[in-house]
Amino acid sequence: MMAVILIVEDDPFIREIAESMIQDWGHRIISASDVPEALIHLRSSQHIDALFTDVYLKADVHGGCDIARQAILLRPLLRVLYTTANCITDQLQSLFVKDTHFLRKPYTEEQLQGSMESLLAA
Amino acid sequence: MAVSDIAASDIVETVPSALIILDRNLNITSANRAFYQTFRTSADETEGCLIYDLGNRQWDIPALRTLLESVIPHRASVEGFEVEHDFPTIGRRTMLVNARKIFRPGDHDGFILLAIEDVSEERAARKESKRNWQLTQSIVDTIRDPLVVLENDMTIVTASKAFLTIFGSTEAETHGRRVSELGQHQWDVPALRNLMEKVLPENKPIENFEIEDNFPGLGRRVFNLNARKISQPGNHAHRMLLVFEDITGRKQRERDAQVLQNEIAHRIKNNLQIVVGLIAYEIRATTAVCIPGLKAMQARIGAIAQLYDLLSQSSYGQSVAVDAYLREITKTMSASLLGSQSGIDIAVEVDPLEIDPDRAVPLGLLVNELVTNAIKHAFPDGTGHVVLSAKHIGDEIELTVADDGVGMKDKVVAKVPEKRGTDYVAIFVRQLGGRITTPSSQGLGTTINIRFPLFLVTSGGAEPLAA
Repeated sequence: MMAVILIVEDDPFIREIAESMIQDWGHRIISASDVPEALIHLRSSQHIDALFTDVYLKADVHGGCDIARQAILLRPLLRVLYTTANCITDQLQSLFVKDTHFLRKPYTEEQLQGSMESLLAA
Repeated sequence: MAVSDIAASDIVETVPSALIILDRNLNITSANRAFYQTFRTSADETEGCLIYDLGNRQWDIPALRTLLESVIPHRASVEGFEVEHDFPTIGRRTMLVNARKIFRPGDHDGFILLAIEDVSEERAARKESKRNWQLTQSIVDTIRDPLVVLENDMTIVTASKAFLTIFGSTEAETHGRRVSELGQHQWDVPALRNLMEKVLPENKPIENFEIEDNFPGLGRRVFNLNARKISQPGNHAHRMLLVFEDITGRKQRERDAQVLQNEIAHRIKNNLQIVVGLIAYEIRATTAVCIPGLKAMQARIGAIAQLYDLLSQSSYGQSVAVDAYLREITKTMSASLLGSQSGIDIAVEVDPLEIDPDRAVPLGLLVNELVTNAIKHAFPDGTGHVVLSAKHIGDEIELTVADDGVGMKDKVVAKVPEKRGTDYVAIFVRQLGGRITTPSSQGLGTTINIRFPLFLVTSGGAEPLAA
């Protein structure tokens, strides 16, 4: 099933690798590098199936959590997959939107694919 | 027998206080046994004698004269009149004198009954106690950490100068109050109250109870509270010493170090993500034969990244919990190498052990290699069990990776990793300062045992050996 994925990642190289992997699996991607850019896409009328966001965006320590919270208010059926190079503590998980997934960095292509498949199948 | 049947003389002889009866001229008409014993005299030497002349005029005491000549004539009774005197026979004594005028029917002059209680020992003990208390208070006042001494009922008996200065309070404001009532009730914490209630009855000290709050005039502060029971020899009453250690500066330095450590770990893992991504690009472009090697490289990088997760959760330079570390590594390996549908499972059995951060990397990489080998080679039919264990044996850790797969053939046994100088396993084992003890292929499956010391000690102290 082809899906539309919004990727939010502030590191251009990591974002590009993720984009090319996800595109190879037959999905369409939209990209953003920070909170304002991501919100522009989320507030637009374009169709989005899932949000794949880094937690720590530039200077915004929990930017990805803020995006997801606002995204769910705008699009209640949106699927969310977080990724982070930070340690995933209980405190961090408490900031996650309910019933969402997370993927630790560094992730391999297989790990991202597995997470993406579970996310879209949910 | 009724009380009225008992003769007054019997009562007089029984009471422990020294009693004497004086006539209006202050001559002694009689005294009881307790008087003779206490002041080492007798009825013959005493009766009929002017009280001041008794025992070579040793009773000619100015304070007693005041009582008998100035106070008694104007009052029917006097209680608790204190007289301190140096008696040649019995030494320095403090006496409490009760005096009462007694009149018999038809006798207008009356008598004076004096009850004399020797309170010398009690007064000496009180003086000693006061001296001790003053000494204690002067010691307490030299201690820089604020402290208070509490009574059984948790009220403050005394507060040190440091306490009064730091918390901007006065003795009058603290004395007799509970700690929970002080300031803006910052110490009114149920957990602290529970602990404090156990200090005296259960002799259970409080160690490092941390409270962080805003304090008037001080700002946000973190205090470490320590309390213990204090007893004075010969005194059954116990008190509690409660010390407040200001650890705000230390706490801030720890938090700064933690933030820095998390930031470094975050950057390292992002950089590792770039490396893993670069390898992913290589995998796409390379021939099939190279792919397993590149994927193995990604798994090794994942094992190193796990370590940074654990390090960012512990204090800087602290050891790493082996149990949590190995569980995280195997969880990641299960997810990347096996997936949720696999017939192979990995069990982890690890004693509560810790390892220095420097050796945590080779340990993680070693486990990654051994478990990967087991998964790849032991189960051609895709089903089986791998058990990873780390046991504390003497001053060593025994790491075991065992599987119930097909086992190693003889020629494979000959190639056990330790014999191949360039093999990763051998390098990691050497870095750990360890050795492979039993490469075994008897019976079912394969078992690899590796032993390495809990701590590596070289001439320069405990540190890892070079690879």
